[in-house]
Amino acid sequence: MPGLTTQISIRKFDFYYGKYHALKNINLDVYSRKITSFIGPSGCGKSTLLRTLNRMYDLYPDQRAVGEILLDGLNILDRGVSVNELRAKVGMVFQKPTPFPMSIYENIAFGVRLHEQLSRVEMDDRVEWALRKAALWEEAKDKLQYSGMSLSGGQQQRLCIARGIAVKPEVLLLDEPTSALDPISTMRIEELLNELKEDFTIVIVTHNMQQAARVSDFTAYMYLGELIEFGVTDEVFVKPKMKATEDYITGRFG
Amino acid sequence: MAISDHSSRRFDEELDELRTRVLQMGGLVEQQIHGAIEAFGVGNFEQLEQIENDDHRVNAHEVGIDEACALIIARRQPAAVDLRMLMGISKIVTDLERCGDKAAKIARKAKGIFDHEMRRVPCISDIREMGEIAVSLLRAALDAFARQDAVGAAAIVRDDVAIDEKFQAITRQLITFMMEDPRTISVALEILFIAKAVERVGDHAKNIAEQIIYIARGTDVRHVTWDQLERDAKGEGESA
Amino acid sequence: MAANLATWRRIKNRIAMTMAFLAMAFGLFWLFWILITTLDLGIASLSPKLFTQMTPPPGSEGGLLNAIVGSLLLVSLGTLLGTPIGILAGIYLAEYGKHTWLGRITQFLNDILLSAPSIVIGLFVYAIYVAQAGHFSGYSGVIALAMLVIPVVIRATENMLLLVPNPMREAAFALGAPKWKVIVKVTLRASIAGILTGVLLAIARISGETAPLLFTALSNQFWTLNMNGPIANLPVTIFKFAMSPYKDWQQLAWAAVFLITMGVLALNIIARVVFRPSKHT
Repeated sequence: MPGLTTQISIRKFDFYYGKYHALKNINLDVYSRKITSFIGPSGCGKSTLLRTLNRMYDLYPDQRAVGEILLDGLNILDRGVSVNELRAKVGMVFQKPTPFPMSIYENIAFGVRLHEQLSRVEMDDRVEWALRKAALWEEAKDKLQYSGMSLSGGQQQRLCIARGIAVKPEVLLLDEPTSALDPISTMRIEELLNELKEDFTIVIVTHNMQQAARVSDFTAYMYLGELIEFGVTDEVFVKPKMKATEDYITGRFG
Repeated sequence: MAISDHSSRRFDEELDELRTRVLQMGGLVEQQIHGAIEAFGVGNFEQLEQIENDDHRVNAHEVGIDEACALIIARRQPAAVDLRMLMGISKIVTDLERCGDKAAKIARKAKGIFDHEMRRVPCISDIREMGEIAVSLLRAALDAFARQDAVGAAAIVRDDVAIDEKFQAITRQLITFMMEDPRTISVALEILFIAKAVERVGDHAKNIAEQIIYIARGTDVRHVTWDQLERDAKGEGESA
Repeated sequence: MAANLATWRRIKNRIAMTMAFLAMAFGLFWLFWILITTLDLGIASLSPKLFTQMTPPPGSEGGLLNAIVGSLLLVSLGTLLGTPIGILAGIYLAEYGKHTWLGRITQFLNDILLSAPSIVIGLFVYAIYVAQAGHFSGYSGVIALAMLVIPVVIRATENMLLLVPNPMREAAFALGAPKWKVIVKVTLRASIAGILTGVLLAIARISGETAPLLFTALSNQFWTLNMNGPIANLPVTIFKFAMSPYKDWQQLAWAAVFLITMGVLALNIIARVVFRPSKHT
């Protein structure tokens, strides 16, 4: 599409859990500094697709990917690609907040130390930068040495976002990031995503269709492992091209 | 267009109820306009009075339906066809209410004419003819709404031209009339107002038809050419 | 009909509750009896001399100093030897070998080891070490105790690591951390309290074990820190003194029983209070 830079392009992509064919011939472009959402009923493969973008499936021996996922023109599925370097470029936030059992400061420094050697002062700056970006600085600045688990659920999730962006990735993947949060915390995260897209390409999987409509620029509707429709969010939610998409987003599903 | 059921049956019921109320309101408006023109033609003063007094019923329908739309939006966060349905209904209802106003206006003006006991009322048959077309357009629009028929709606948009032409003819006739006999100017002007009101009913029917195309196809056809509109109504305009 | 059913249910409930209560009372009765006897006889024989004098020959005055120090030495060395092995094996089972045949076999063997009678361990070490070396020794005792520590620590480590939610592991991997770092910095840290509890319970278990030491460290009437020879320790001393006909030896045995009981009780309490899993660690 004009005026957009492609950050990730997925071409003829197939995914298998053992023998189960979970994703079928996916072709999709993720645009730079935009929010792309994947929606669809449970088991449609949206999370699976998200987890291939940072090769999370590598952790599990019987999962297999075939095809091409180009990040900045490089096929990340190639054997030669360093998974750890890839994950420095593609960060991820999970459904349940998962602060590590360490201080708020260390939670953020942990990821940074994996990829960069920073002086004490530089690290302090980076931690502050990440917390500010994640809109958590004001709440956390006086308790950086407290355990990350002492924060509330919504704060923990913002800590996880801070942790993800502290590494300065290009892409941030979010797997149902607000499904365990209350509505106010959810709104704050959505607000935050809107600010973050100035610096990062964001891909979000969500069960909440209104959330996809609110936050994302592009929406992909998936069903039974296939990409049914992909387009500008405003169009998908007002005038979807496919009947299947229409039925899903208007609650005529199943 | 086939619309399958929602997972929430209550949502389906709410939408059905809303559509039924729109059709009820449409029926009432149709009756008002038809009655106004007929009573004007035969000079039935009581019927005109009745029609003027009944306008509040149309208004009450509009308020009620708009409220129901807002309620469904707040409760269900509708998307796609449902969202378009609610937006469209909200606008259709406005057009119907205006039609109701026109019926009341025709009744009022007609009463004025008969009040002054003007014996020669010009163009009555022309206005009745034009009124019949307007009412039939409105009826066709409501029909198309009930069936979610975009192609049928597109035909209405075209047919509105007939009314416009009729109006032009009446205007010309009235002008000649006034030039011939300046004493008839005041009654001719009243007649012109009535003709204008009937012509507006045609416009509202056209607006309703456009909303029906939007609801069914998701394309806004308010400001496009006829050809484009007809293609959109058939669902061929996607790539154009 | 319905009322009948409800009544019958109530009766069944009563019966089950009564039986459960009786079972609990039965267990607690013996436990309290043991504790009271230990306290009664143990406190009576307590004296500062216990901690200053050696185990005496029959008929003369003495304490338990050599046995206490010997026990501390055996238990702490046994723990130091067994804990790292146990933790590493536990990490293997939870993080690496979960679905491998080696992992499954190890798990199975560990379960057997966990329930093996300690006398079997004692005899085993006697056969492979003591008999080969030709003499009893502290070292062999340490090995025997370590073999008791290992399965307990393996089980604790494995269970605690498996309790760490998988998303936390994935979150660490998602930052680009290599596996060993994920384990050391994240999962192990998240489960450290539970693992330490396991270690403390293992210590509590081995500090009272007699059978493995009977075949390995044996005992020693005198003060020694030489781990290559027989060394005094509380359990075997209790065994020896309590079986003897001498009144003062029997009294010392009760004192030793009291010390061990209190020590084990203290360890259990520490394990439960200090390392109680809390949200704010």
